[in-house]
Amino acid sequence: MSQTASSHAELDPCKALPFPMAVLPVLRNPLLRKNVAHAIDVIQAKRGKLVAEKTDWQELRAAASAIRAHALENLGAYLEQFEERCTVAGGTVHWAADADEARRIILDLLRQEKASEVIKIKTMTSAEIQLNPFLEANGVSAFETDLAEIILQLGEQEPSHIVVPALHVNRSQVREIFARRMGLKNLSDDPKELTNAARTYLRQKFLSIPTAISGANFLIAETGSVAVVESEGNGRMCLTLPRTMITLAGIEKVLPRFQDLEVMLQLLARSATGERMNPYTSLWTGVTAGDGPQSFHVVLLDNGRSSILAKPRQRQTLKCIRCAACMNACPVYRQTGGHAYGSVYPGPIGAILTPQLMRMKYARSLPYASSLCGACYEVCPVKINIPEVLLELRAQVVNQERREGDRLFDPMYMGLRIANLLFSRAWLFHAAQRLGRIGLGLFTRKDGWIHSLPSIGAKWTQTRDLRGLPDESFHEWWAKRPQPDEEAL
Amino acid sequence: MSAPLQSRQQILKRIRAATLDCAQDPAMRAEAYAALPRTYTCHGQLSAEDRLQLMIQRLREYDAEVVETTPAALPSTIKAQLAASGRHCFVAPEGLPVEWLAEGFDWKIDRNLATAEIEQTEGVVTAASCGIADSGTIVLHHSADEGRRVLSLLPDWHLIILRASQVVETLPEYFAHCQQPPVLITWISGPSATADIEMTRIKGVHGPRFLQVILVRDESLTAKNDEEMNPDQRPAETGSTKVR
Repeated sequence: MSQTASSHAELDPCKALPFPMAVLPVLRNPLLRKNVAHAIDVIQAKRGKLVAEKTDWQELRAAASAIRAHALENLGAYLEQFEERCTVAGGTVHWAADADEARRIILDLLRQEKASEVIKIKTMTSAEIQLNPFLEANGVSAFETDLAEIILQLGEQEPSHIVVPALHVNRSQVREIFARRMGLKNLSDDPKELTNAARTYLRQKFLSIPTAISGANFLIAETGSVAVVESEGNGRMCLTLPRTMITLAGIEKVLPRFQDLEVMLQLLARSATGERMNPYTSLWTGVTAGDGPQSFHVVLLDNGRSSILAKPRQRQTLKCIRCAACMNACPVYRQTGGHAYGSVYPGPIGAILTPQLMRMKYARSLPYASSLCGACYEVCPVKINIPEVLLELRAQVVNQERREGDRLFDPMYMGLRIANLLFSRAWLFHAAQRLGRIGLGLFTRKDGWIHSLPSIGAKWTQTRDLRGLPDESFHEWWAKRPQPDEEAL
Repeated sequence: MSAPLQSRQQILKRIRAATLDCAQDPAMRAEAYAALPRTYTCHGQLSAEDRLQLMIQRLREYDAEVVETTPAALPSTIKAQLAASGRHCFVAPEGLPVEWLAEGFDWKIDRNLATAEIEQTEGVVTAASCGIADSGTIVLHHSADEGRRVLSLLPDWHLIILRASQVVETLPEYFAHCQQPPVLITWISGPSATADIEMTRIKGVHGPRFLQVILVRDESLTAKNDEEMNPDQRPAETGSTKVR
């Protein structure tokens, strides 16, 4: 019996456990940790090699960062330009203020098409708005077509990474899922055979289901075009074969000009999968007579993004091009995988994006899910200073919490209030030192260390020893010290 | 005012309010855009021959098969490649030169073929718009000799005829050629692949599992061989690129 690597985490930030609790099942699951570490090591090695060969990597990062920042600073104008050009080219642009509105727009479009089935290209944005369960509840079956997404959909699991969503599942687990759900008893665990099984499983769906949903990697304001970056060709199938195509895109995905892709495409594949270029990138503009879907809709999703835009230091969060380099580089993610983040956006970018999308009402433990080592900032192709945003969000969490009534007797905030009092008055500080010396002296062993403390003090001594207080403080020593001797100088 | 319009207005209003500190008027925006730092490598450094060798090497790294030929020998090279594939039934875009349609094979010419008919074929032959050596990428603009997108997608075997004069070294050089952005583009870098299972790259998922490239050493290249390449004077790619 193989141990299941899935903890089947809930990826709704409103319901998710705080990060320190959510990681516990993962830390006790050696198979899951092994799967994650293996995948991360492979991607990191490939990325490192390909980034090193690119002599203008830093110049590309600088350009990408500046282009994304400029696009966000002028987001209103560029979105309107995109809308105008896309409409001229035969597309229809819809605007969704929140997840609920986006889901309803998409369902209405599907109902107009009388669609009971829809094929999907991997889109994290649709996972963000929890589109699949909503469609299912309204009588539309959504079929994921990306291999990793099929593994998750058939295995009833949640994504744990934004580029390789099933990286926590190994080949024998994939074999088990496919054998069970596709009725293939004699399937081996050879990745080639598994991939072929997926190809066969989907072929008829591609050829027969006339409606598709995609995300977008980039929206081009200048031309009204949409670009999708992929590997398998499932994207091309969904973009080419159906009658009707619906693209769901966050409002931040816009680039000013077509030429900006020369920067983004050089950075994205290298950062994401460690390839010089991903196998397929598709760009289309509205509707083209005789080629591809003849009905095309773009749903522009806000869902909290404009509120992130309003804060200049946090605005950079929206520069993200979803390459996942930050999670691959993150020492925390490497140990925990993605599910513990309780959001479809895990890793360092998730730790800053999710709480902001939730307007700091949920996912408030995530800004702490980091050692602030800065590896994420170093690899980010658009130079998002993630540690800076993490610190900013931590400050906001603290400011929120200390005003909350039920935190009045929270030991940490109580301790900090007392510390505030003590540190601001010298006589109180010295008195506290003397008291502390007496109090802690009871627990200090002969070796000068405190090995265990009662009550909340145990939270410290459970995992580490504490130095006992010295017999004399620096202040006391200073006051008593022999006066400087002229001769000694 | 209807609900959808309200959302549009509401979102744009929120964006405008959020970017009050930085949004620019059109003239300033254009100026700011033009001033964005672009110090990355735009022009390649390789000689024409090295550029082609890099293109070939990159394609082979992706598991694509590459053969070289001359313009005169192209039809016979195509025929040999078709025969070597062991396949018989091929589909071709309507604009493909007739001399490329080798005799002895079953050709379906795409005059609005039904999807099912394309799915029946075993392979496809197309031209291309550009090759990018740095990443081994071949670009299709889906003009008359490159065919509709579905054509180069459903058949399991894709033969691309790429002219040496179409090969640039860097991605920015390709973009410099696109004065008018095409409405449809497919950038192809090797056959369809996935690494979703344990990061093992598996060739061939939904797109063509086999990518075959014939590199035609056309004359314009020989003339320009080893000269310093000036991208602005390079010959244009396919003349029939669809632009709006």
